[in-house]
Amino acid sequence: MARSEVRVLALVTEAFGGRGGIAQYNRDFLSALAQCERVGEVIVLPRFSSGSVDSMPAGVQQLRPVENRHSYSLAAVWTAITHRPIDFVFCGHLRMAPLAAVISRVLNAPLWLQIHGVDVWHDLSALQHRSVESATMVTSVSRHTKRRLLRWVGIDPARVKVLPNTVESQYQPGPKPGHLVERHAVGGKNVLMTVSRLSRLERYKGHDLVIRTLPRVLKQRPDTVYLIVGDGDDRPRLESLAAECGVAKNVQFTGSVPTEELPDYFRLADVFVMPSVAEGFGIVFLEAMASGVRVIGGNQDGSRDALCDGALGTLVDPGNGDELASAILAALDNPTRTEDRTTRFKPNLFREHLTALYRFFSIQTGGPLWAGPSLRREEMAMAIPNTFRRVNDQQCR
Amino acid sequence: MCGIAGIYAYHYAANAVDRGELRRIRDHMAARGPDGLGEWYSQDERVGFGHRRLTIIDLSERGAQPMMSGDGKLVVTFNGEIYNYRQLRASLEAKGRQFRTQTDTEVLLHLYAEKGEAMVHDLRGMFAFGLWDAEKNALLLARDPYGIKPLYYADDGWTVRFASQVKALLAGGKVSRDPEPAGWVGFCLFGSVPEPFTTYQEIRALPAGSTLWVDRVGAHQTKQYFSIADIYCQAEAASSPANEQEQQLNAREALLDSVRHHLVADVPVGAFLSSGIDSGALVGLMRDAGQREIQTVTVAFEEFRGRMEDEAPIAAEIASRYGTRHATRVVTEQEFHNDLPRILEAMDQPTIDGLNTWFVSKAAREFGLKVAISGLGGDELFGGYPSFRDVPRWVRTLAIPGNLPVLGDLTRWLFTTAFPRSLNPKAAGLLKYGGSYAGAYFLRRGLFMPWELQALIGADTARLGLRRLKPIQHIAAVLKPKPRTSFGRIATLESSMYMRNQLLRDTDWASMAHSLEVRVPLVDNTLLNQFASIAAKNGSQSKRLLASSPRVPLPPKVIERPKTGFTTPIQSWLQRDNRIQEWRRVPSLTADKCAWARRWAFQVSAAAAAA
Repeated sequence: MARSEVRVLALVTEAFGGRGGIAQYNRDFLSALAQCERVGEVIVLPRFSSGSVDSMPAGVQQLRPVENRHSYSLAAVWTAITHRPIDFVFCGHLRMAPLAAVISRVLNAPLWLQIHGVDVWHDLSALQHRSVESATMVTSVSRHTKRRLLRWVGIDPARVKVLPNTVESQYQPGPKPGHLVERHAVGGKNVLMTVSRLSRLERYKGHDLVIRTLPRVLKQRPDTVYLIVGDGDDRPRLESLAAECGVAKNVQFTGSVPTEELPDYFRLADVFVMPSVAEGFGIVFLEAMASGVRVIGGNQDGSRDALCDGALGTLVDPGNGDELASAILAALDNPTRTEDRTTRFKPNLFREHLTALYRFFSIQTGGPLWAGPSLRREEMAMAIPNTFRRVNDQQCR
Repeated sequence: MCGIAGIYAYHYAANAVDRGELRRIRDHMAARGPDGLGEWYSQDERVGFGHRRLTIIDLSERGAQPMMSGDGKLVVTFNGEIYNYRQLRASLEAKGRQFRTQTDTEVLLHLYAEKGEAMVHDLRGMFAFGLWDAEKNALLLARDPYGIKPLYYADDGWTVRFASQVKALLAGGKVSRDPEPAGWVGFCLFGSVPEPFTTYQEIRALPAGSTLWVDRVGAHQTKQYFSIADIYCQAEAASSPANEQEQQLNAREALLDSVRHHLVADVPVGAFLSSGIDSGALVGLMRDAGQREIQTVTVAFEEFRGRMEDEAPIAAEIASRYGTRHATRVVTEQEFHNDLPRILEAMDQPTIDGLNTWFVSKAAREFGLKVAISGLGGDELFGGYPSFRDVPRWVRTLAIPGNLPVLGDLTRWLFTTAFPRSLNPKAAGLLKYGGSYAGAYFLRRGLFMPWELQALIGADTARLGLRRLKPIQHIAAVLKPKPRTSFGRIATLESSMYMRNQLLRDTDWASMAHSLEVRVPLVDNTLLNQFASIAAKNGSQSKRLLASSPRVPLPPKVIERPKTGFTTPIQSWLQRDNRIQEWRRVPSLTADKCAWARRWAFQVSAAAAAA
């Protein structure tokens, strides 16, 4: 007899109190999951949590972060044991998948694995392979990430679903904030912007290409500034690149910007440009588009999803500077702000889809998580692999 | 017949259906359906269906597709023939259902409304369709039990697209061309791409005898509703008449019933005729089923004139015995060379065969046929292949040494290291694979051995593909449940592997390229149900039951003629074609003894990869 409430163990790198796209995604995901019918409790064990957590959404309990990898594994096992019964395990990062798979096997609880992008750009370890294949369902932030995972792993593609990032309501169109115009002295100027960490390990974002393209843009629009928002150990290299290209005066580094200030920063931009080649999805595109800013992204990775194959923004070949320059100039020629173009990525749609995926997941597990009356009989019949095969799996006599 | 296509933008973030894309997919299949075209879009533009029509039943405009149910809740786009549609229609009408057309397409709509997805169990024929259920907000894809008609789909995570051809999906321009290593490995090992794989990662074949639902979360897992192995298992358990006369009577009835069903059409139905028993007996049975005018077509080659391999004289004798209007079409080397680029273009997925079907279909169309009966499937049903003899023998001999751990790998390694060129690669694998039905079958049918792949497709593709395909397990999977008799096992293997992935696929692309529908009365689930127990009892002797089924018997020389296998001079033509020299780059293919099929396979894959 199934209990009336489902309890979930979520193993994540960071969620509440974390920074960046993955933490944001996990927060959205776990809050929405806790709202799914019959889900009683989501127990979150993060590895990192930099900020303080003021309030948690209903039904979600986040444990203290455990940074050390080995201690984290022990903590995860301990949490699984002490919080039994666990009905399913959610794993928020491919790197943790082997751990999550072991726990899921020991608890005999199905595994829901989330993948983001950079984790599947290269072939996986043998252990990761087996872990992915043991997952009942894998959700991916984009079609691109799904495709890349399936390049390596022989999991049934029907078990890999796409759940894109969503965008929060504080990102909205509006005039350029005066204090920021002043702070960066960009009054009367065209502002190109990229928002990201500047990590030596993440040189795929396309800053280089924008900087190298800048002279061509400046030739026609000399009053243009490229504002690089974010900080990291790759900054010195980008600074010298800007100098090398003779555009040091037109490239500004803002340094690290607090999350609360980001919506204002997006409104400062005329064009958000990030010709990345390895984006899992690129939530910053959504934030820029929600702020009414025109966006330019690369056409070879998850950015295609954020820009909806070009329906919401301009896709360029990230290896082609001419293409990028014309896209920037075309966007600058059309300076009016757009409406918020991210209606199709709003949280309510995210939540609805997560609910549908949760149903699908439950049915895949044979239905113990979802014995609710609201599941119609024919839905059940649609989704359960028919008994035909099971009956016939034995050798006939 | 026809070509079908559809797009369903199921995900909330996906763009609405791109009409241009749907039309590009649909019109890439113009040859499948030159007589008409149609499209349909849901009001919210989230779903679109396309159709190219080859008119065969109800030639009027009312039969146009996609077709919507009277209440507007169901829409179908359908490729194939439902041979029992008149019976189904009668029983649906008896339940008060009103029909607007004379088509089998409309029967699908009513039958679905009546029974839902379980409808597939009632269908006799060859089919692939997409059906939109507006109330459920879901798309149903289904394919016939044997997989006579193709159906491919691609789910990128936001949008599902489906079509009768892989190349059509690509022509739409939005499906990824990332290669699927398992498809390439499968092609090299078997000579055809084993379903559900294609050579593209994102595109999958809906497996034969399966259905698939797509709803707001995308494509669900495919569900198998028919298994050949299962039928042989049941047949072995059931008793069949011991009396030979009674067996003959039952066999004749079952065969005649199948042929009769396969003649349903509003246009003339002709036949391919060779010198063999299968096609000859079918023509005799067409006669018995009451068909007066029969156009038969045989392909002949100038090189074979007056030789043993020439099928034309015996075929002509069969034709005159059954009083058909007979045509012998001579194919020359020049014609072959002229056609080769079009052949490679029409070849939907890489395959090492299909060239003969190309020419016989071309000839049939020249003689005005839209529909032709083929004897395909006879060797699977009646045990005509050497595998029925060899595989059980190998398994008996090698079961014990083959099961000793490491011995197989060790001998394989020794042989391939010691005699890298001179030894037949299959001999090296004898101990490794010969001990099980799946393994021995692989040896019998295999084109390349796994250890040869690296040189052909590169180490990475070979490694990834082998890991994913798991060739021996892949073969063994069709033997679930496992028939008790060796005949049942080989018949299952041949029908579920070679016939499904090679013969039926080749027949589809090669005939559809000429807008010709090929019907295969010996590939029929009802016939299999009726005949499996007799076949299981008689083993490879059961072909004589087919031979003596027509009321007017086949000429004795047809029955007594030793089985030669279908030979053509195409090999030597290919060898002389200076456009086909790519294989010379691969050292293992330059050995004098190298089978031509292996070189041709490499050529085909090079052409496909370049396309």
